[in-house]
Amino acid sequence: MASISFKNVSKRFGDNLALDNVSFEVKDNAFFCLFGPPLCGKSTILKIILGLIDPDEGEVLIDGRSVAGVAPAQRNIAMVFQNLALFPHMSAEQNVRFPLAERGVDPLEISNRVAEVAEKLNITHILSKPPSQLSGGERQRVAIARALVRDPNAYLMDDPISALDARLREQTRVELRRIQQELGKTLVYVTHDQEEAMSVADTMAIMEDGNIRQTGTPVDLYDSPNSTYVAKMLGSPAMNILPLDFAGKGKPISFSGNTPKTAISIGIRPEDLEIKLAKSSNGASVVNVEPLGGFTTLMLDTGGKQLLATLRGQTKIQTGDHVAIMVNPERAHFFDKSGAAAQAAG
Amino acid sequence: MTQITLENLGKNFGSFTALAGMNLTIADGEFVALLGPSGCGKSTTMNMVAGMLQPSTGSISFDGRDMGNVPMARRGVGFVFQNYAIFTHMTVRENLAYGPKAQGMGSAEVTKRVEEIASLLQLGSMLDRRSGGLSVNILQRLAIGRSAIVEPAIFLLDEPLSNVDAAFRAVMRTELKQLQRQFKQTMVYVTHDQLEAMTMADRIAVMDHGKLLQVGTPLEVYNNPADTFVARFIGSPGMNLIDGEISKSDKITMVDLKQFGSFGPVPDAVLGKLKSSDGKVIFGFRPEMVELDSNGSLKMPVNFVERIGARTLLHLGDPDDNIKITVSNHEPVPKQGELAQFTIPPKAARYFDPQTGNVLRGEA
Repeated sequence: MASISFKNVSKRFGDNLALDNVSFEVKDNAFFCLFGPPLCGKSTILKIILGLIDPDEGEVLIDGRSVAGVAPAQRNIAMVFQNLALFPHMSAEQNVRFPLAERGVDPLEISNRVAEVAEKLNITHILSKPPSQLSGGERQRVAIARALVRDPNAYLMDDPISALDARLREQTRVELRRIQQELGKTLVYVTHDQEEAMSVADTMAIMEDGNIRQTGTPVDLYDSPNSTYVAKMLGSPAMNILPLDFAGKGKPISFSGNTPKTAISIGIRPEDLEIKLAKSSNGASVVNVEPLGGFTTLMLDTGGKQLLATLRGQTKIQTGDHVAIMVNPERAHFFDKSGAAAQAAG
Repeated sequence: MTQITLENLGKNFGSFTALAGMNLTIADGEFVALLGPSGCGKSTTMNMVAGMLQPSTGSISFDGRDMGNVPMARRGVGFVFQNYAIFTHMTVRENLAYGPKAQGMGSAEVTKRVEEIASLLQLGSMLDRRSGGLSVNILQRLAIGRSAIVEPAIFLLDEPLSNVDAAFRAVMRTELKQLQRQFKQTMVYVTHDQLEAMTMADRIAVMDHGKLLQVGTPLEVYNNPADTFVARFIGSPGMNLIDGEISKSDKITMVDLKQFGSFGPVPDAVLGKLKSSDGKVIFGFRPEMVELDSNGSLKMPVNFVERIGARTLLHLGDPDDNIKITVSNHEPVPKQGELAQFTIPPKAARYFDPQTGNVLRGEA
């Protein structure tokens, strides 16, 4: 059990500033998710926590104590890699035993510990099989068991399920969340899949270019993004962001509500656009309809600007139809010139 | 721009049957997705269409012409694989120009084509970069460009997006669809990802264990799955399937779902098709079709709540039952451990035969 905090941490690789004055705190027992595009600094953070690289500036604390100069082995942090890195010539059980056997732990104690972890992860029945005979999800659990067997203070996962197919990813992420809740251990998790991040995390940090742009619960970040960057990183399809003069009375997007003084753009999530068939063409026209069964995605043209709307279920609206677009003022987001969220007036 | 006809197509590898009795006609300019889990026979089918594999039974014809003795190079087929086969020592431009040059196209024409396809696939800014240093995403885009540039009559793609990241996959789905609309090739697309099939295909051919189970438009396979496999495979999450038993009272016939409640009335058309006398059925409904309702006839304990942006996914029943319902993020939902009570519109209920898995009635 451990909390992890970064205080003003920077790291440079040659000319490249991989981490730029990054601060955050992972609470004890939290499922903390780092989310961002490739090369944004997520993996550098993991390596610094593990002790594989040292920060140039700033401080890293584990359980409130600085870990500067503490060797990776002494930090007792376990890592599950993207490719799982299971030994193919060993059975699942031998894989799980390995970290303890390597440390010369008493074989009987190893067996007890392995049995305990295997039961928690529901892999007891597959322990005798080699990785090649296990499904993707089972291999995943074996890799987690191997990370947990030496009772680490915290564990780190670097995009652990990205190699699984879509259906299995959906199942595995729920399982990971359950396992983490049951184990009650601090988990720092890296992913580039926004849906996965929102599904598993208690707290997530959204990164860009070595900076953390916003930290919060997935619901907070989705409902109240602090910038256009964060707004676009979560949600699929992404938030529509349009110049402010597209919304208002008699405008393509019918909207009546106060707008902050500094706002220059309005952001509306596709599911928050209310669409009605209209006779006249002064609203918007439908450019494309994508029926997905459970919901339908419409591409709309509002005289030069295209936006996406998601409707629940199936619709009679067709390509070429004219529609009126409305938005509930409570669901509108506003951004200023710099792309930061604009505060409501008054 | 070719019609593809598969007749009783089959392939055996030794004693293993990879594909059996496949009948499918793909219309000129149509985008058909072959969808199924690994080992379902989809790639085997595609490899036979391309001419890389010889069928064990049946035939393949293009525009009525039997392809039995036509080698791969003469079939006019463009092929994109999961692992983009790009010449890494060449620039993007050289890779794109390779096919047209090999066909003997004049250099002015080649240059023009390369520019066109590069702009379509947003490769214009990196034409003179060496392919070796490009990201996985760009390489896959280049692989698609290199096949598309020779304007094959038939375009075959085998899991082209499974190695790229999630955000890029969404972009490429739109681009591939646009590409196909523009060139109007006959497109056969192999995937295990139902979302890719649903978003891009004109029709989806769902396959499992070497068999074609159902062919239809995305909405047809979603709304009226032919069997429990298709029901579960299509949709995200797939259709919920619960064991039930028909119970008749004086007037109405319901399906008894044990601790989860009951649902009815069961339409006569379903009852008429019931084969077994024990009244056992599999009851199916889509996660998105549910309305939370404190007077609903169905109730299940919530064992997990997943809020994913626009939607909230409730996992219900025991973890093993794996029943899921999807509601809007703005809707208040019961918490983990509480009871979710809900209704399903009668039109959304589906019934399947527990023995065969086949649907007992297709809703029109």
